[in-house]
Amino acid sequence: QTLVAVLQFLRRSNLRESEEILRREARLLGDDLGAAALSPTAAGLLGAPGGDADSAVGEALLNRVTTAAAIAIGGSVSTVASSSPGVAAVPSLPPGKVGGGVVVEDQPDVSAVLSAYNQQGDPTLYEEYYSGLKHFIECSLDCHRAELSQLFYPLFVHMYLELVYNQHESEAKSFFERFHGDQECYYQDDLRVLSSLTKKEHMKGNETMLDFRTSKFVLRISRDSYQLLKRHLQEKQNNQIWNIVQEHLYIDIFDGMPRSKQQIDAMVGSLAGEAKREANKAKVFFGLLKEPEFDVPLDDEDEEGENEEGKPKKKKPKKDSVGSKSKKQDPNAPPQNRIPLPELKDSDKLDKVMNMKEAARRVRLGPECLPSICFYTFLNAYQGLTAVDITDDSSMIVGGFADSTVRVWSVTPKKLRSVKTAADLSLIDKESDDVLERIMDEKTASELKILYGHSGPVYGTSFSPDRNYLLSCSEDGTVRLWSLQTFTCLVGYKGHNYPVWDTQFSPYGYYFVSGGHDRVARLWATDHYQPLRIFAGHLADVTCTRFHPNSNYIATGSADRTVRLWDVLNGNCVRIFTGHKGPIHSLAFSPNGRFLATGATDGRVLLWDIGHGLMVGELKGHTDTIYALRFSRDGEILASGSMDNTVRLWDAVKAFEDLETDDFTTATGHINLPENSQELLLGTYMTKSTPVVHLHFTRRNLLLAAGAYSSQ
Amino acid sequence: MEAAKMASPKSAPKDAQVMAQILKDMGITEYEPRVINQMLEFAYRYVTTILEDAKIYSSHAKKSSVDADDVRLAIQCRTDQSFTSPPPRDFLLDIARQKNQTPLPLIKPYSGPRLPPDRYCLTAPNYRLKSLQKKVSSSAGRITVPRLSVGAVSSRPSTPTLATPTTPTVQNVLINPSLIGPKNILITTNMVSQNTPNEPNPLKRKHEDDDDYDNL
Repeated sequence: QTLVAVLQFLRRSNLRESEEILRREARLLGDDLGAAALSPTAAGLLGAPGGDADSAVGEALLNRVTTAAAIAIGGSVSTVASSSPGVAAVPSLPPGKVGGGVVVEDQPDVSAVLSAYNQQGDPTLYEEYYSGLKHFIECSLDCHRAELSQLFYPLFVHMYLELVYNQHESEAKSFFERFHGDQECYYQDDLRVLSSLTKKEHMKGNETMLDFRTSKFVLRISRDSYQLLKRHLQEKQNNQIWNIVQEHLYIDIFDGMPRSKQQIDAMVGSLAGEAKREANKAKVFFGLLKEPEFDVPLDDEDEEGENEEGKPKKKKPKKDSVGSKSKKQDPNAPPQNRIPLPELKDSDKLDKVMNMKEAARRVRLGPECLPSICFYTFLNAYQGLTAVDITDDSSMIVGGFADSTVRVWSVTPKKLRSVKTAADLSLIDKESDDVLERIMDEKTASELKILYGHSGPVYGTSFSPDRNYLLSCSEDGTVRLWSLQTFTCLVGYKGHNYPVWDTQFSPYGYYFVSGGHDRVARLWATDHYQPLRIFAGHLADVTCTRFHPNSNYIATGSADRTVRLWDVLNGNCVRIFTGHKGPIHSLAFSPNGRFLATGATDGRVLLWDIGHGLMVGELKGHTDTIYALRFSRDGEILASGSMDNTVRLWDAVKAFEDLETDDFTTATGHINLPENSQELLLGTYMTKSTPVVHLHFTRRNLLLAAGAYSSQ
Repeated sequence: MEAAKMASPKSAPKDAQVMAQILKDMGITEYEPRVINQMLEFAYRYVTTILEDAKIYSSHAKKSSVDADDVRLAIQCRTDQSFTSPPPRDFLLDIARQKNQTPLPLIKPYSGPRLPPDRYCLTAPNYRLKSLQKKVSSSAGRITVPRLSVGAVSSRPSTPTLATPTTPTVQNVLINPSLIGPKNILITTNMVSQNTPNEPNPLKRKHEDDDDYDNL
């Protein structure tokens, strides 16, 4: 009786959340207080929130629970409980939940979220509801069937989890057995994980499933199909499925023709459905930043090179760019000072000059002129090679290994030297011209340098553009910055407390991005010990992070099978790309900044237009995970390397011409991908039994590849 | 008993078969054979830890035997302790929002290597030099051990010092070049040339120094 009073008080004071919690505990206490007293109350309470407009508001409230509110809820529950002396068992539970510092935020949060699964309807009838819907969809018109079949998977998962949460284990099991075979093949991995969740306790530990609950699964359905569905569901007596649809699915309606199965299959597959149209509407500055002017004294040959930047010849290189035709502001390029970038040092300018010289001698690639491929095989790595990177000028190669070492090799005849000790540095003549040579210690010259410091396998490595620094990220949760002049560790950036899967320096240096198991990507600067930006939004681990060539955007690929593009300036997610059917392991931006290529465990390479936010191509051919993707220096060829021991070259120019990117496509997601993978494939090159882990085009368009020889 | 222990190559013990079945159910088809052993060991260790904790809880609650509640509590406590999972999504979104509101800091020009403040770097020396009172040895013309001073910015004009009882001489320990940070720590040495000409190279360690080095 006291419990009834408490519950009614909560209802009146509109503390929906705490009421849910208390009701959940009340169910647990059902045995103690006597079923008779409780069941009328329970039935009364359950009847009220179930199936009416209130529940939608309640669920909305629940879904927007923040950390602060969660603590307040925990507090209010305990005060309410203490005011009811009769209910002895209840006070014991809130302290149990409030125990432990961080857990306070977690537990009420989680239980509030999980208690969104009110016991609505009879568990034994779930199978009937589902098969009823299945029958309806299968009998509907062909054109609608494909779209409505999208409903099967999210409904199945939500209903199953509801049964598990309400502890109807046997019903849940039979429900699963009966219907899991009907789902699409690309959801099989998720279903397997789901099959291991048989008890309520299992659900609490699984972060990905919790995220699946709180985020709405997005479906894009045409208006006609939607009307059909709505009419059917509202006609039925018990609106079970309709409730679930309203609470857990977000249906993005578009006007137009229903999509065909093929079109839908291309776009679905991610953990949270597709992307809403608004998610891909923000303006993205995908153009490149202007190259800065040079006022370094150059010899004649270099002046020639500089003049190629578009300025008329026979004029002295001017500092201002007004008047040069190639220097008009690209409307798609970000303003130069949108994000602060480090200024160019003299060494950087020399680098750029070298770059331009090499570019002049670059081989023009195309379908008739394929690049030569030079493969660096790591021998005796015993499957421990986990990360590879090559400097931009192809002078050094670094390997990250599962034994937590980072090894740097020099690929050119010039050996790796470290700077002299301070004792010797004071002896040299600082004014001499070749001081940069003299500071190097000849005694330490060697081809290989081993860097020790991590305490777990090294999963990502990245050279800085000026070749002074090396980053490595590992399973121990830290990102380490190493100096390539002293070959020692300078800084350890701690922030992720979980394995960090990938890291990359910005193309201009100074910034770097890292992504890990905690489902966020972080932007750091080398001189800040804490991240500058946190990109949160993925539902599962962030497995791959890349900078856009203009350093204003970051692409992240994740195990939730989506690729997101984030704005560095304000941390917003500006694009969501769905379509892969497996975790994404490689990303590559085209050199002109307009396109993105992604590769995943499903063996497909997908091509995306960043400006419009659409999928524009699909390259099928690989049979295993694609771990390496790289565009050639001028963007004519896309090279992909995979675990199936091959490197494939694709014609990028052809893939990106004649794009249908009109408004209709963006609005409806009707993409018509041409089946031209075979035409675009320019060559397949097999290695003996070496999976390809990294690809790199040198400045002259020679393709370097790296991998570890695996004997099986 | 012995027959059960000596499992024939074809039939693995029942536990191993169960573990192989679990791996198969979870979709893992390719694994090294040692994975099964490792998983069995892990399962054994986990279960025994949980049961030990449950025993402690039940004895604390003065119960005669361990029941399901004790085990449940043990599992919950262990999960919070050892198997922490990443923070929930809305928490991450919240802190991300806070962090992303601050504008990107401007970059100071011409500041050399851009690193965090020294206390967050790993560039400090991880050794400390112990100053020794060297015994007055018979060799008056003893080698001058170069004096090391940490923190000085520029090289000072150095005066030749001969080993005297009052001058604390510092060990010429191998200076680990990896610890020399890019900025602040410069080590000054006395110029070698000012020593007596028949002195060996001061950078070469003498044998006596080894004993002292061990004592550090």
